[in-house]
Amino acid sequence: MKFLQIALGILTAIGGFVDIGDLVTNGLVGARYGMSLAWATVLGMIGIVLFAEMSGRVAAVTGRGTFDLVRERLGPRAGLANLIASFLVTALTFTAEIGGVALSLELATSVNYLLWVPLVGLLVWLVIWRVKFSLLENGAGLLGLALVVFGVALWKLHPDWGSLVHQAATAAKPPIENLPSYFYYAIALFGAAMTPYEVFFFSSGGVEEGWSKKDLMIERANVFIGFPLGALISLSIAACATIVLKPLGIQVDQLGQVGLPVAFALGKIGIAVALIGFIAATFGAALETGLSCGYSIAQYFGWQWGKFVKPREASRFHVSVLLTLLVAIGFVLTTTDPVKITEYSVVFSALALPLTYFPILVISNDPDYMGEKTNGRLMNGAATIFFIIITIASLAAIPLMIWTKAGQ
Amino acid sequence: MTNKPPGRVIDLDLHLLDRQVVDRDGKFVCKVDDLEFERGENGALYVAKILVGPRARAQRVGGRIGVWIRSIAERLATEPMPTIDIASVIEIGSDVKVAASRDELDVDPLEDWVRDHIVSRVPGSRHASK
Repeated sequence: MKFLQIALGILTAIGGFVDIGDLVTNGLVGARYGMSLAWATVLGMIGIVLFAEMSGRVAAVTGRGTFDLVRERLGPRAGLANLIASFLVTALTFTAEIGGVALSLELATSVNYLLWVPLVGLLVWLVIWRVKFSLLENGAGLLGLALVVFGVALWKLHPDWGSLVHQAATAAKPPIENLPSYFYYAIALFGAAMTPYEVFFFSSGGVEEGWSKKDLMIERANVFIGFPLGALISLSIAACATIVLKPLGIQVDQLGQVGLPVAFALGKIGIAVALIGFIAATFGAALETGLSCGYSIAQYFGWQWGKFVKPREASRFHVSVLLTLLVAIGFVLTTTDPVKITEYSVVFSALALPLTYFPILVISNDPDYMGEKTNGRLMNGAATIFFIIITIASLAAIPLMIWTKAGQ
Repeated sequence: MTNKPPGRVIDLDLHLLDRQVVDRDGKFVCKVDDLEFERGENGALYVAKILVGPRARAQRVGGRIGVWIRSIAERLATEPMPTIDIASVIEIGSDVKVAASRDELDVDPLEDWVRDHIVSRVPGSRHASK
């Protein structure tokens, strides 16, 4: 039973790792820079592993979600500023995910994505309102495993593996590209792999499922096995784009282009599976970001939150999610390109990361909260080094955005 | 330390302020937004009440935003500031547990208003999804 639970957790962590940010950014970067930025994805993966492990462990030991701790450590004033910044980034990601679901449905049906947006919004709300948390989490994660098709496509394309590895290992920037844009996209990939909502959702989800110290095994298996395997999907998306799109000089600015290599390698069946993966991954992430918006507000103010109580017992939580959803739908309906929204959302994610990472790093070291479950020496060393990396990425994000005119 | 004052000594800033208050059924009630003190017979200060709500929080948010929150909250408020007697607190750990239920404490009228006027009218609001 325990084994099944762990296996299920790992599978959903793999399928849930990729969202619209990873799809777009990896496709875009692969087509433009080849595998030379793979290091940024790997770095982001290590970062999210550390961050999620700490906040998941804190949630399991104390029963507190991320924003409970942000407010406890930073107080109401800095906590409020932090809440506003993190909420805006998560709401922007939520908007991008909803746009992503609609774009995926357009690819599958040829019906304009704007017509899908209201329906997608309604479905997101219905699922958050009604569906069991475990079903919501596992369903989307398992269907998201369809994206493994990118790995299969990569294998079928018979790439020159040596060249791919060489590009990744030497971080060889294509000579025609300038250095600031190269680093701008490094930050974008870092933010795509290490999006703050993933941690809000992971830790609050632990509370939803009533994790205790006994469940630390499941938590660690999710993080240490599931997330790296999920990052492999990200890397195969980039590798597929490197092999098929880059030689053709295709600049990725549509979601459909990300799926082209799969169609090229595996034909109709492949593209059908990829589309299922797109829809599941973006829809799952829309649920997670939507819930995360509610979690963070409710945890700051101390309201009842969560799907483990009836909706009427967590009334403001559900109203917050609904209002955020309405704003997100409205934003997508302004016809702002969801792919563009995604490109900005991953960079803003990198910008906002230190705000929540720092309080979690402090608390996971605090024996008052954690008893004997504080960070080990290795964990703490790695987490501290990453705090420096995250801070540098955050400080560089906006200057690079302005300098490169968002990566041009 | 022979004449140590009675009561438990904790670091209020680290261990009480901004903690989650949880009722006897495990429901989330509010945060410890601020505290009210009382002087004991021995002259020492004791925590008497947990202050709850935007008016309590505004002062600690401070600055112009704090003034702004406070003036709006005071204009909208119809009742005195909600409080929880420290005597009803049964445990202070990673959360603050109280012996009463959420409804008995009645410190968050807005949550109840939203529940009664908005959420309860939506079909399925009484449906436990666990």
